[in-house]
Amino acid sequence: MFMQNTISFFVISVSVLFCQPLCAAESVVKGAEKQVRELIQQTCVDCHNQDTSEGGLNITAIDWNLKDAFSRQHWVQIHDRIQAGEMPPDAKELPAQERIKILNVLSDSIYNADLKDVLSEGRGPMRRLTRLEYENNLRDILSLPDLDISDMLPEDREKFHCNKVAEILDVSRIQMDAYLNAADAALRQAIAAGVKPRKSNSRRFPATSMFESVDTYGGREAMFYAKDSKIVPLTRSDLMKIRKKNQHDPEMEMALFRSPSWPYYGYPEAFRAVEPGEYRVRFSARAVRQVGDFGLREAWSSVPMNFRARKRSGPDVSGDVRVTGDTFDIQPTKSIFETTVRLKKDETIEYCLLGLPVPRPINPPNAPLYYDFPPMPKGGHPGVAFQWLEIIGPLDSVEWPPVSHQRLFGSLPIKASERGELAIALVSDQPQQDAVRLLRRFIHSAQRKPATENELRIYERLVLEEIERGAPLAEALITGYTAFLCSSQFIYLTEPQADSKNRHYEIAARLSHFLCNSRPDPVLISFAEKEQLLGASILQKQTNRLIESKSFNSFVSDFTDYWLSLKDIRRDEPDARLYPEYRFDDYLINSMEAETRAFFACLFHDNLPVTTIIDANFAFVNDRLAQHYDLPPVNGSKLQRTLLPPTSPYGGLLTQAAIMKITANGSTTSPVLRGSWITDRILGAAPPPPPPAIPAIEPDVRGATTIREQLAQHTKDPVCAACHARFDPVGFALENYDIMGAWRDRYRSLGKGEKVTGFDRAGHTYAYFVAGTIDASGRLLDGSEFEDIKHLKQILASDPRILARNLLQQLTIYATGTPVRFSDRPVIESILDQCQPQAYRIRDLLHGLIQSKIFLGSSSKL
Amino acid sequence: MSKFKFPSSTRVFSRRRFLRGAGVTLALPLLECMSQKSNAGTTGASPQRMLIISNNLGVLPKLFFPKTSGADYQLSPYLLKLREFANKMTVFSGLSHPACEGGHSTENCFLTGAKHPTSSGFRNTISLDQYAADHLGRQTRFGTLNLGVNIDKANRSLSWTRDGILLPAEDSPADIFKKMFLQESDPQIKQRLEQLKRRGSILDAVLDSSKQLRHDLGRNDKTRLDQYFSSIRDLEKRLVTAGEWEQSPKPKTEMELPNDILDRTLLFEKFEQMLTMATLALQSDSTRIITLMVDAFATPVFLLKDNEKSTTGYHSLSHHGMRADHLSQLEKADRRQMELLGQTLQALASAKGEQGQLLDSTMVLYGSNLGDANTHDNSNLPILLAGGGFQHGQHITFNHENNKPLCNLYVNMLQKLGVDTDHFGSSSGTLTEFKSR
Repeated sequence: MFMQNTISFFVISVSVLFCQPLCAAESVVKGAEKQVRELIQQTCVDCHNQDTSEGGLNITAIDWNLKDAFSRQHWVQIHDRIQAGEMPPDAKELPAQERIKILNVLSDSIYNADLKDVLSEGRGPMRRLTRLEYENNLRDILSLPDLDISDMLPEDREKFHCNKVAEILDVSRIQMDAYLNAADAALRQAIAAGVKPRKSNSRRFPATSMFESVDTYGGREAMFYAKDSKIVPLTRSDLMKIRKKNQHDPEMEMALFRSPSWPYYGYPEAFRAVEPGEYRVRFSARAVRQVGDFGLREAWSSVPMNFRARKRSGPDVSGDVRVTGDTFDIQPTKSIFETTVRLKKDETIEYCLLGLPVPRPINPPNAPLYYDFPPMPKGGHPGVAFQWLEIIGPLDSVEWPPVSHQRLFGSLPIKASERGELAIALVSDQPQQDAVRLLRRFIHSAQRKPATENELRIYERLVLEEIERGAPLAEALITGYTAFLCSSQFIYLTEPQADSKNRHYEIAARLSHFLCNSRPDPVLISFAEKEQLLGASILQKQTNRLIESKSFNSFVSDFTDYWLSLKDIRRDEPDARLYPEYRFDDYLINSMEAETRAFFACLFHDNLPVTTIIDANFAFVNDRLAQHYDLPPVNGSKLQRTLLPPTSPYGGLLTQAAIMKITANGSTTSPVLRGSWITDRILGAAPPPPPPAIPAIEPDVRGATTIREQLAQHTKDPVCAACHARFDPVGFALENYDIMGAWRDRYRSLGKGEKVTGFDRAGHTYAYFVAGTIDASGRLLDGSEFEDIKHLKQILASDPRILARNLLQQLTIYATGTPVRFSDRPVIESILDQCQPQAYRIRDLLHGLIQSKIFLGSSSKL
Repeated sequence: MSKFKFPSSTRVFSRRRFLRGAGVTLALPLLECMSQKSNAGTTGASPQRMLIISNNLGVLPKLFFPKTSGADYQLSPYLLKLREFANKMTVFSGLSHPACEGGHSTENCFLTGAKHPTSSGFRNTISLDQYAADHLGRQTRFGTLNLGVNIDKANRSLSWTRDGILLPAEDSPADIFKKMFLQESDPQIKQRLEQLKRRGSILDAVLDSSKQLRHDLGRNDKTRLDQYFSSIRDLEKRLVTAGEWEQSPKPKTEMELPNDILDRTLLFEKFEQMLTMATLALQSDSTRIITLMVDAFATPVFLLKDNEKSTTGYHSLSHHGMRADHLSQLEKADRRQMELLGQTLQALASAKGEQGQLLDSTMVLYGSNLGDANTHDNSNLPILLAGGGFQHGQHITFNHENNKPLCNLYVNMLQKLGVDTDHFGSSSGTLTEFKSR
């Protein structure tokens, strides 16, 4: 295995550390600098000196000041290069014994200095909440599960494929201003919007009121009204007459055959949410096929659909467009469906059929533009026929004032407000006393560790001054609450430390932000109050409870957004010239994204061995993905855990469509990019950045040369070859997966090869060429050779410790905001040792980390 | 009819008449009416301004883009209208917003560069003007002005907040005028001062309670907390400035309150009136950042010139399908806009700035989200930038097939404004070809 030497060296240095008591290590360190400098003088200085500072390193200029984080980091790098066997380039220049010697001296010295720093200053700085965490905290405190304020805050920066790195989560004036606005907006949303719940309206739309017009972009084929499964060719004026006279025929259906994409406005006539809030949507529909002459037949399989919230802005979209409510599989037999959607003021709902054609504009010369619908496939166009739709809302809480209001103001009576921005005012005989009581109650519910009496006084004074200045009680309280929600106590998570009186609270907060991206729930808080969280079995039970909770989804999506860059899955549009089959296939991309998240969650839920990342005999697929992966058909849009046939090239994270799409660019794949991506994210060996002034290799879409030929040319230079040999081979094995992860045996091109023609999903002719055959074989750095991806997977899975270490390191950054430090390394190795007998199961790794001093804080003073 | 409406006898480029309209304002002691506060936030350098104009149906690309590139490029038929400013402007071709497709829906992304505006889960991002205002703070009475002509205010805007909320455009010149020059009633000012005061109290409390924490912390944490403290102090300073603006008297003008033109067919008259308001705002230093959307899409049949109306609405016209009668009408409309742009540049060039002409400290960007409205093409956008102290007089071209991000130009503009950033929206850097003077 190509990284084996790393491991063996690691084990040596780690075992040395464990054998030596700390005090002994200190005495060794005394003459350390001298020893290191001597060995370096012999081996390294020839290349890394003042004149020829190879790789930008002049080793003689580096201070031996290990107390200083910056120079310590330099020595860590030197240590790691020597340990990995990368330096010196000719291994013979540093005989094994000397190598062990220098590594031991270096690692002992660095370890001691690093540990000392951890014990005196903490393992890492306190960390600001991410905007997602801030939003979730407020959602929980205010009991507003759909609160949407994260975008009011500036986007968080990213480092180490993580959004929770303490050193770069800064606070600026703009950030602070945004906190004030976001907290204020959230608090106001929590307050009752009136003295009584809003009146809910119910509207029923017969089929002939379910669409604005008589057809849509794409012509009649895209949408028509029907009765007895035959088209009723209504004109605009027919429709107006029906609506005006209210002569709707209950036997009519509205039949739709396209997916939404600009231009399209598939919403009911005359409905918009006058009030923002939740609306209940009920409708009756069946899946159909459109056959010749606009007839309807029963569909062969279900058609997935959901609703999008958007403004009634016609074909052009303005502002937000988002899926709201459930996704349904409309069945061939007529049935009634029901869901709850959330709408902002003036929004409506749009029918969003998934995976159907999107008509494309045709611009004929000297004639107006029009939109074309594809020719009819065998069996007809799949679609949905709707009978009626009902919208009821806004649905306010039955309990009034709503729970969110009670979180702020308890049970104080309310009345209509006469001044200020709020719709209600609080009724109180003793506003000062009530203010103090409610403020203390609120802070108690929002704090993550006990506020001191001094702090409480500061907020009390603020609220009382506001009342004195004549602010209504509710407004004065909002002022105080806003202040607390913008305080440093609230926006920073602090590092648990052994001597801290709040250590248990800090652990509770770290655990909940790690696994749920939010504040500790009452159960965790109560364990913190009782100081019981350090008990191994309680901590394990609580961890398991959070993993089983619904909030764990937030960890899954946030972690994969960064570790695997899933948030970037829509970055590149598939090139419609080369891949016409993927044009506007949002349904496929959404399914791909959902698959990877479901798979990642399953790793923890089922505590699967870490090698499952590389290979698995199952996959989560729905109807579209089964088709994409060339598996036996699956029914419905819901992902189902499916056993893969042994011949399938899928299984494991490595070859999932989402990963293949993220590592491609929409037109072509590059073994360099895919290979280095996998080596970095999955194996934890980030390749060095490409040297400056060397142009990137761009795959040739004309099909004249294959990427392998181009790379062979590029790597003729041994300097290039040395680096490329680390990651290209992995990329070669993935060449059988196209830009969206579908299997291919040959490349496509726009120039050379056999011509392939046909009609795309919008009915447009396409032509591309099928060119060179793919060679997916390769040879890893350590010499092991493989034929194809199946073979490579076996090789990668044969060293699970590498995979486990990488995942553990990534989890450490995410959980603590600080990457694995030098003094953490033995801890990481010991967690790996514990998990080794069970084949490094993933939940075990997580437990190992949470129970370690990396997570819980150091428990002894130096 | 407003006094701004052209006498219908003449339609040729009449700078004199424009100046007569603007001339009243020119009688202002230029930029001297600026409050002293306006320079409080800047560090000696002369303040920079920007005026961004977008027509959401664009122009006919063939007549707009020059055929040759570089410094000695040949002016295109449209640019001939701006001949006098050839050395004060730069034309760009080969710019667009990557992955910002969806025909007309991109009009809301012209200053944001947000990707895929029609796909599910879309939310717009912060626009250039708001981003700049956020970072520069309240240097003038208004952080920004967001103007519109014939605009569908509920659905279209150039200006979007950080959380993708539409900031509605102002389409009444009279209201804008009042806002700039008419003193408000005391209760309104008092209410806003109250709000600022409340913010100040919140920040005081937050600062106090965080100080309690500081002495318990280690070195690393102290560094983080100090950052937090300085962000609060920074923000407090801004609040003070905002409060001072509320209380400082507004500048005066000899110009009379304009009458709003309500007739949507008078597109160019309305556009001209709005440009006058923009010029006035810059001259009086009421703001330094202005956006203006000409909502051609929402413009019905309109007056092309005296007694000549377009045969259809602007949108249908734009889908010309190469029909000669449509093309000739579009050309007339485009030329009118170029004339108005020329007038505005002239007004800014005639006005005195801190150093030299006001135009030299004002970037005037004219562009569109559509490269070719006929085919709903969102690439190769027409972009022209005049003024603002750049090395002008060029046609800078980028790959027609593989465009450069327009946001790269926005980064140049932000840096010019004094915003310390090397990134905005979908930028991949700056346009290094486009240099400061």
